Amino acid sequence: MKTSFPKALLARHETYLALIIILFSIVLANATTGFLTAGNLLSVMRGGAGLGILSLAFFVALVSGGIDISFPAIAISGQYIAIRAMLAFGINSIWAAFGISIAIGIAYGLFNAFLITKFKIPSMIATLATFNLYHGALLEFVGTEAVNVGRIPTSITEFGRMAIFRFETEQGPLGLSIFVVVWGAAIAATWFIMRRTMLGRGIYAIGGDAEGAKRAGFRVTRIRYFVYGYVGFLSGIMGIIHVSLIRFAQPNNIVDTALLRVIAAVILGGTAITGGRGTITGTTLGVIIIILLDRHLIMLGIPSAWTEFFIGIVIVVGVIATHLRMKISRVRRGELVVDRAH
Amino acid sequence: MVQALLEVRNIRKAYAGVQALDDVSLTVAPGEVHCLVGENGSGKSTLIKTVGGAVQADSGEIIINGTSFGSSISVIQSIRHGIQIIYQDLSLFPNLTVAENISLSQMIEQGEKLTNWKRIREVALRSLAQIEEHIDVDLPLDRCSMAQRQIVAISRALTQGAKLIIMDEPTSAITAEDVRRLFKAVRRLNEQGVAMLFVSHKLNEVFEIADSVTVLRDGKKVGDYQASELNQDKLTFLMSGQNLEYKPFQFDPEKEGAPLLLETRRLRKVNQFHDIDLKIHAGEVVGLTGLVGSGRTELALSLFGLNPPEGGDIVIDGSLVRIKGPEDAKRHGISYLPEDRHGQGLFGHQTIADNVVATVIDSLRGTTGLIDARRRDRIWQEWIDKLKIKTPSGHNLVSSLSGGNQQRVVLAKWLAVEPRVFIIDGPTIGVDVVSKARIHDVIQELARTGMGILVISDEVTEIMQVCSRALVMRKGRIVAEFTDLQSVQESEISQVVAGIDGSEVVA
Amino acid sequence: MTTKRATNVTLFIAFALVALIMTIAMPERFLRLINLQNMMRNLPEYALLAFGIMLAMTVGGIDLSGVSVLSLSGVVAGMILSRHQELGMGPWMTIILAMSAAIVVAAMCGVINGAIVSIAGVPAIIATLGTNGLYLGIAMGLTGGSGLGNFPLQYIRIANGNVLGIPIPFIVFVVVAILLGFLMERTSLGFQMRMLGASPVAARFSGMNNRVILIKTFVIIAVLAGISAILLTSKVATMRPNFGQQYMLLAVLLSVLGGTNPDGGFSSVLGVSLAILTLQIIATGSTFLGFTPFFRNFLYGVMLLGVMIIQFYRETGQLAGVMRRFRQPFARKKPAAT
Repeated sequence: MKTSFPKALLARHETYLALIIILFSIVLANATTGFLTAGNLLSVMRGGAGLGILSLAFFVALVSGGIDISFPAIAISGQYIAIRAMLAFGINSIWAAFGISIAIGIAYGLFNAFLITKFKIPSMIATLATFNLYHGALLEFVGTEAVNVGRIPTSITEFGRMAIFRFETEQGPLGLSIFVVVWGAAIAATWFIMRRTMLGRGIYAIGGDAEGAKRAGFRVTRIRYFVYGYVGFLSGIMGIIHVSLIRFAQPNNIVDTALLRVIAAVILGGTAITGGRGTITGTTLGVIIIILLDRHLIMLGIPSAWTEFFIGIVIVVGVIATHLRMKISRVRRGELVVDRAH
Repeated sequence: MVQALLEVRNIRKAYAGVQALDDVSLTVAPGEVHCLVGENGSGKSTLIKTVGGAVQADSGEIIINGTSFGSSISVIQSIRHGIQIIYQDLSLFPNLTVAENISLSQMIEQGEKLTNWKRIREVALRSLAQIEEHIDVDLPLDRCSMAQRQIVAISRALTQGAKLIIMDEPTSAITAEDVRRLFKAVRRLNEQGVAMLFVSHKLNEVFEIADSVTVLRDGKKVGDYQASELNQDKLTFLMSGQNLEYKPFQFDPEKEGAPLLLETRRLRKVNQFHDIDLKIHAGEVVGLTGLVGSGRTELALSLFGLNPPEGGDIVIDGSLVRIKGPEDAKRHGISYLPEDRHGQGLFGHQTIADNVVATVIDSLRGTTGLIDARRRDRIWQEWIDKLKIKTPSGHNLVSSLSGGNQQRVVLAKWLAVEPRVFIIDGPTIGVDVVSKARIHDVIQELARTGMGILVISDEVTEIMQVCSRALVMRKGRIVAEFTDLQSVQESEISQVVAGIDGSEVVA
Repeated sequence: MTTKRATNVTLFIAFALVALIMTIAMPERFLRLINLQNMMRNLPEYALLAFGIMLAMTVGGIDLSGVSVLSLSGVVAGMILSRHQELGMGPWMTIILAMSAAIVVAAMCGVINGAIVSIAGVPAIIATLGTNGLYLGIAMGLTGGSGLGNFPLQYIRIANGNVLGIPIPFIVFVVVAILLGFLMERTSLGFQMRMLGASPVAARFSGMNNRVILIKTFVIIAVLAGISAILLTSKVATMRPNFGQQYMLLAVLLSVLGGTNPDGGFSSVLGVSLAILTLQIIATGSTFLGFTPFFRNFLYGVMLLGVMIIQFYRETGQLAGVMRRFRQPFARKKPAAT
């Protein structure tokens, strides 16, 4: 028995997210003059691409029933090592930058997978440990020296300026940043893997019931290696995007606000912490909400000292709303729900 | 003679000094429905796991369609030769759709790398059609009822070319209608030559569906029988090795002048139960029976505060009370022994001692506000002795106990509260025959001390053995009351339970 | 029960070993009174957070907001203290006011955490990750990102003072440890916390009020962070809002090292205390050896993984086998059998 289309739409989490985005945009458009311009929107997307890519990574890990909080350390490690290597060996190629960063990312990711699968260490604890392992190692063995704008290899700064669909406006030339293109490619690739391959079905299956997945024939260990390797892969990409965006490489700048925002984006997007559920659409919408918030609170007149608080409030309220809805629907279905910590 | 589909010969399997299977042999012919029955601990789970490859036997022979595998077979071999086991938990993915659940195993086996959604749906629909079933294949599994999930599990087994489907306790958690639906599917399969091996301890279903029955007891085979040559009593005798003594419990509250402890008046909750007028007097054992879905557990949980009613009154000792949570129930002297012993009744990895005092911990405070350790230790030791819980030490984990002993721990926990009304839901599920009888004795003894007991069970036999009177629930209402259990036939009550006594329930 | 004792014994051995090594390796630096006092003075800041994580794990969750609660209550106390001259209440009244305010604010944070987890049904890890940002945000907003100072001298003496040669913060640590020990072993609340962590469903069915237990737990955790804040602000005489986010890893490490089961139901105050003492010695040793804080963090990561790996081998009963393989290379060649 199929439910009617409008009713099905209302039941979907993504609908509410879209509504929130529309609402927020209306508020912003009214409150400020600069919001609805092409320039601003394109700039917002450009700045948020990094977050978007990391969110896809976190999303995949979460669906598989695990969690990976080491990705900020992986991203900064890939980035900094690539930059330092390029400076040390006089390489000036964006491909080298990506290559090195991605290689490190995948290596770190596979190590995470090794710890989690071989020693059955809970992914939360394992990645908490490797976060400090990777970041500590980076600062200790590679160095803490910042690389500022003047010394960043030009291939990277050039890359940051690339854009497609260029057009002219009064403010100057505008285009869709290469960062957004990369983000789009990441979305497409992740979507394909999760929706169109058995590997993706396996990830969802493991998130639903790992034991059952094994019995059904899925190669659970291999799939887990892929998941965490993929997180490392995307983190490596994001590392270069990030340095290309801010044109500054500071290894201590661990982007740990990134951790909170990524988790917020993915959870707001409707992915369950318990695994097995979640959509890319939801995650992307969640990312959009977060990046809109991040950039525009100042426009709404909120002093910069309070932005963290505001974002915190939004996240907390959003998370409460999501889980309260889930709880109520379970009670309605007659399930016996008890208060618990996890 | 038709070649046997499955033949196991002289299987032996021991675990840490316990002989789980002792020289067991079994034969299943194509297209037959074979039931494997036995009490808990009889070895039936071990046997099917051996056949399915999840467990390796110590010795014996497994022959499938004439091919011998020696004493052990791997899971993959077993599946490739057409054996599919559906465990009680069904091993499905609640977060995936029906179509995915049915088709994924086949996709994996065929080495598919990309998902072809069209094919996934086609395979699922075709499999469902084989047993003439209709389920919306795009539904996420967690929206499906238990019965639908069983159909999904069977369909999945079919996609892998099952010739023998083994189902472990398939009828434990589904309603009567669902059982009929399941059996219909089974008969379709039989017509196509697929054999079924049911593992069950529910005797009624055995008779309705089985062609042949194999009885196990204590790891040994008692015998193979045609279903037609057995009846309830005979089967019970074979399973338990003893003629169970009926110790009927007679108690007339009016005659004894027993006080009314608990009364409900027109208690109701939408879609669960209506018009419940229930009376429990001190000293009686009231039985409440009905099928899954009749509302009996919902009603019990309501009295315990976990499922507050929407209308009607609960009266205790003559005054109206509101029970909003188990704390309130406890305060009013109501204890509840849950159906799901493991999940709801026990703290698995904690000690027996901690489990027993969990309900009374608040009242163990001494003058300093700290727990009086001596009193605490005395309480659990007392209960271990009183209920004869077999354990070397109260500090052992509760998970180290047998099913019967675990049930005694849960019993102890709720007796420690010194309740006046004790609601016992499914007292002997998963308990061996000897412990079962002991638990029944305990229940009757408790009643004699002046407690009012409500026993909920779906085994009419048990109700008749333990209770002084019985109530039957169907579709949320109490449809019958039997006050003189001596003079009533078990089949009479069973018929009312199943709703084939001619009386219709006005919903 | 026996595994708990075994873990505690192992920890005690580790502690004794580490102390011994340090004493032998560099007695002049290690055994100096000043050094011992410094160790005892620095320890409680993160020790109380570690106890907090232990409590959170006992009920089956984790509380990642400890450091922000610390920041926020520290900021609130700091704001009152830095104005002590304007308030004109005299130094001790101001101090008492500031300390009470810190604890009250911390408790409020705990109530919020507990409510979000128990009433809204948000898993503790997400809830506290969110509130972590929230509380930090408030702290940042209140201070505008800058630090606070100018505290009354008497306040500074609290954490920097000694009683019979023992730094006051350490006395606080010991008192807290004893109280928590009593809480967990001998009170009804402690018992219920353990049972809730073991099985929330069974707890409810046993008549426990999960909601109240959870909220009380999170309040206790937050108050511990508040006490930490007081000790910290007193010691360094300033308060920066964005302080010590790296302490969370340390707190989790210490809790797990101390034998706490992250899934709930088991914890040992003694175990965590021993882990804290051991780690403090290691940290001091690493400073003496010239390790940077980065290398220290790296080491903590390694240690956490090491503990989990050993745990894995122990639980799968393979510890003996692995140990044997380690000993293999050192085994002497046996003479030919006769």
